[in-house]
Amino acid sequence: MGTSVMSKDKYQPTSKAQAFLETVRNGKYKREIITGLAKFIDGTVPEDMRTLYTPEQLKNLVELRGTQRDVEARMPVKITRHYFDLAKHSKPLQTLVKANPNETADLGGAPDPGKQMSYSPVEGLIHKYELGLIYVASTCSAHCRFCYREELIAQKEVERPDGTLAPKGLAVIADIVAYIKQHNEEVARNGGRHPRTGREKLREILMSGGDPMVLANRNLAEWWSALADSGIDSIRIGTKEAAFYPERFDETFFEMLDNFHAAYPGTRLRFMVHFNHPDEFLRKDEQGRYIDDPAGGLEWVPATRRAIEGLAQRPWLTIDNQAPIINGINDDADALRIMQREMRRNRVENHYFFCGRDIIGHKAFNVPIERVWQLLNESQKGLSGVEAHARLSITHYKGKTEVAAVSNQPLPGVPGTENGFVVLKLMRGAEDARDRGKVTIVGRNPDAIWFNDYDDRVIYDEAGLYADVERPKATMLLQRQA
Amino acid sequence: MTYVVGENCIKCKHTDCVEVCPANCFYEGPNTLVIHPEECIDCKLCVPACPVNAIFAEADLPADQAAFLELNAELAQIWPNITKRKEPLPEAEQWNGVPNKRQYLAR
Repeated sequence: MGTSVMSKDKYQPTSKAQAFLETVRNGKYKREIITGLAKFIDGTVPEDMRTLYTPEQLKNLVELRGTQRDVEARMPVKITRHYFDLAKHSKPLQTLVKANPNETADLGGAPDPGKQMSYSPVEGLIHKYELGLIYVASTCSAHCRFCYREELIAQKEVERPDGTLAPKGLAVIADIVAYIKQHNEEVARNGGRHPRTGREKLREILMSGGDPMVLANRNLAEWWSALADSGIDSIRIGTKEAAFYPERFDETFFEMLDNFHAAYPGTRLRFMVHFNHPDEFLRKDEQGRYIDDPAGGLEWVPATRRAIEGLAQRPWLTIDNQAPIINGINDDADALRIMQREMRRNRVENHYFFCGRDIIGHKAFNVPIERVWQLLNESQKGLSGVEAHARLSITHYKGKTEVAAVSNQPLPGVPGTENGFVVLKLMRGAEDARDRGKVTIVGRNPDAIWFNDYDDRVIYDEAGLYADVERPKATMLLQRQA
Repeated sequence: MTYVVGENCIKCKHTDCVEVCPANCFYEGPNTLVIHPEECIDCKLCVPACPVNAIFAEADLPADQAAFLELNAELAQIWPNITKRKEPLPEAEQWNGVPNKRQYLAR
């Protein structure tokens, strides 16, 4: 990557931004990160951490080194002290953070099933919808083994639409600001729609990575003020830091938030947090049970509670949780129910749950789509309406799609639905909202983990999710009959 | 783990690294830089940014520079934080790659 991440033109903050930036203090953090397996293997990790891997587990991982099945090459291993302390007493959290030979047992899948690279007009930016996603960091405080950005985190070469190979670069403020301004000027000149893509004004930016919260306050502040000055009205921060290192949400951070809001009251912050399992934020007793909080609900890990409360006390920002459902971590209706209830009690909206992507090296993490729907549906029994807002999403390259229903019943008179059917609903198009709300119905396939597992059983395709699929004649006939 | 500024920064101090560090964890002495090991988030961006290859992952630190792990930790407590790139030291070119520069480390 090297100097390629440095833009030719240095970004010059406006005088308003400069005044805000001068108020920002950096905090001091002690994440106590352990990166890589080496320190576990040679025993130089702090003594209590030596038990995270058994000698047998380390031996099995070492044997894969340098082979195609090298798990560290697939995704660097990384853990914080805080997460280690939580994971000590949690099998699901260990599965989330510990390297495991199963990860590379099946290397099937596609490199980029969401066709993300075809939506990247500038290095470090994915522009879909009226939302742009920027990569501002190439690491997180700890690493989820199931991360689907492993190509960014591990700095692997990815293929660009022009066929060239290069590691994914990070977004650079000057370049992103220039793109936003140019795009929005073209949209304005064309009466509200981009002349080529039909997209609306770019008004929301999702900062992702990696985790934006590994950035120092000053670097975050520089991004926020630059985005606000370029006309962005909402900034999302996609972060797992509240689970990995909640102490990052400290006094200096909240001071910066307040100063930002004072300087840019029209630019709203939306925190997209990432909790997979209640063990990431709830305290447990000696028997491993969650503890009733005398003030209501369950007792939280104090640092995590402080982080979320600090955000929740600021009414001009929002907090949403979204998480994939992952094999061995949260494919558990009871855990999901407790999580949704506690999130909402503490002012965190339950936004999306995701089906895992069919990416190379992800078979160990994937739970079949229909099973995920059943788990989420089961978890939402016993929740009140406001607690059960989360929808199940699976990302088609055409746009975010909801797995809206799975029925075990055949549709009378419709061939292909003998074992029941699945209703998919397009939530948004990747370019514009034209197809929003359209549905696709497929016959059930309990083993399906991705859209293509239904290629041979499409019943009805209003949403056009299968428009590019060459279907066998028999299926086309079925569709006509349907 | 952490990344470590090694011997070849001494008397060069190019500071390209501080510009790419997302966590602002570089500290500046009179003629070299150091990384605060507790603040480093192990992202590795500083390694390719250094024009004189002075920065190493802790695990890759050459044996004859092992002392720099401690030196970084010690001096990062004392020296001021640096987040903006500045001109390298005037004789940076001549000093790049000169062996045994550790004796010139100024505190």
